[in-house]
Order: sequence, then structure tokens, then C-alpha cells
Amino acid sequence: MTISAASGYLFGGAIIVLVLIMFACLLRAIRGPEIADRIVAVNMLGTLTIMIICILSLWQKESYLLDVALIYAMISFLAVVVLTRVYLGVHREHMRDQAHPACAEDGTQSGETDVPAADPLSAFSAQDSENASADGKGGVQ
Amino acid sequence: MEWVRFIIGSLCILCGLVIALIAAFGLFRFRYAMNRMHAAAMTDTLGILMVLLGLIVLRGFCFDSLKLGLIILFFWFASPVSSHLLAGMEVEISDRLKDNCEIEETERKGGST
Repeated sequence: MTISAASGYLFGGAIIVLVLIMFACLLRAIRGPEIADRIVAVNMLGTLTIMIICILSLWQKESYLLDVALIYAMISFLAVVVLTRVYLGVHREHMRDQAHPACAEDGTQSGETDVPAADPLSAFSAQDSENASADGKGGVQ
Repeated sequence: MEWVRFIIGSLCILCGLVIALIAAFGLFRFRYAMNRMHAAAMTDTLGILMVLLGLIVLRGFCFDSLKLGLIILFFWFASPVSSHLLAGMEVEISDRLKDNCEIEETERKGGST
């Protein structure tokens, strides 16, 4: 009889502490200067929510809440993956438009294939000339 | 015997709560997203292991403890993957990466060889 009361106190206190930690994570998700800070905070919020659901399941002796926690874990992982992929795609498109605004306005494939092909070639030629000059200097010395 | 099991389970749950508190502290103490990622990943692995292990000890051996173990297993598979994706995104989009991580020298070495 007393053990159920003690477990009630334990679960209630644990849920209160977890909710306080969740508020701290929410503050970091709002204040985070970069997008990675926000996604990290959202990921940790999902973890803390799963902990709360599992504790609640044992407190209320409702077994189906564990299934809810399992599904929530999968959806939380999927949310992180989708957010990362979507933001990375948006950023890549933005950087490509910023680097070659003419190509973005024209929208033709010839410009896109032409300009990135020029960059590695120029880089390789500069590197070769550097190596050649270094070899020449070595030969002279 | 019941009280011994209760005390062991509650100690595990309290240990998990302390780990989650440390992770929340590290989320505000560190200054860069990579360091914050390290602090937050501690909750995803050790924190949830301790809390759910305490719940398994309190519940006893039955079908619910199998579900709790499955949640732990899923988190141990999913957390490194999400951390990897986040770190890759941070490396690609960040402007402050060279101020916080020492990557410039290795990049130059890779370019010359």
C-alpha cells in the first residue's frame, strides 16, 4: 500500500523535473542562433516527451501508452531527418542561385553545365602551374 | 523484496533525470551547435537508457518491459543517425565553422596532395 504511494510521488516528481527541462529546451529552440541549435533542441524535446509518456504509462497502468511512445520515437526521428534534408536542399538551391544569378534567371541547362565545369578546370590549371613553378624552383636550387 | 526493487528502480530513474539536467545545462553552457549536439545526444542514449531501465525494474518481467527495451534499442539506432545528419548539415551551411573548429589546415593539406 505504501509502495504505491511512494511510486506515485516518484513518478510525479520525475514528470515535474522533466517538464522543467522541457521548458529549458524550448527556450533554447526559440533563442538558438542557428538552425542546427533549433533542431538539436527539438530532438531533445522529443526524447523528453517519450520519457514522460513511458513514466505516465507505468503510473496510470495503461499499457497502450508504450505503443504511443514507440510510434512517437519513430516520428521524432523522422522529423529530424526530414527537417535536415529539407533545409539542406533549400540552402543548396539558395547558394546556387546566389552564385550564378544569370543561370537562375535563364533557367537553361547549358549555363548550369558550363559554369561549374569551368571552376574545376581553372582550379586544376592553377594547381598545375603552382606545382610546375615549385618544381622549377627546386631544380634551380 | 518489493522495497529493494523499488529503490533500485527509483535510483535508476533519478540517475536518468540527473543526466537530462546535465544535458539541459550543457545546452545553455556551450557556445556552438556542435558542442550542444554533444550535450543533447547524452539524453538520447544514456538518459533514456537509465529512465527506461528504472521503469523496467519497477514493472518487472512482462510484455511492457519488452516494449520499453524496444524503445531503448530504437533510440540507440536512431540517435547516431540523426546526429550524423545534423553534423553534416552544420558543416555545409555554417559560416562560423572555421572560427570554432580547426579544419583549415587539413583542408589545405587535402588540396595540395
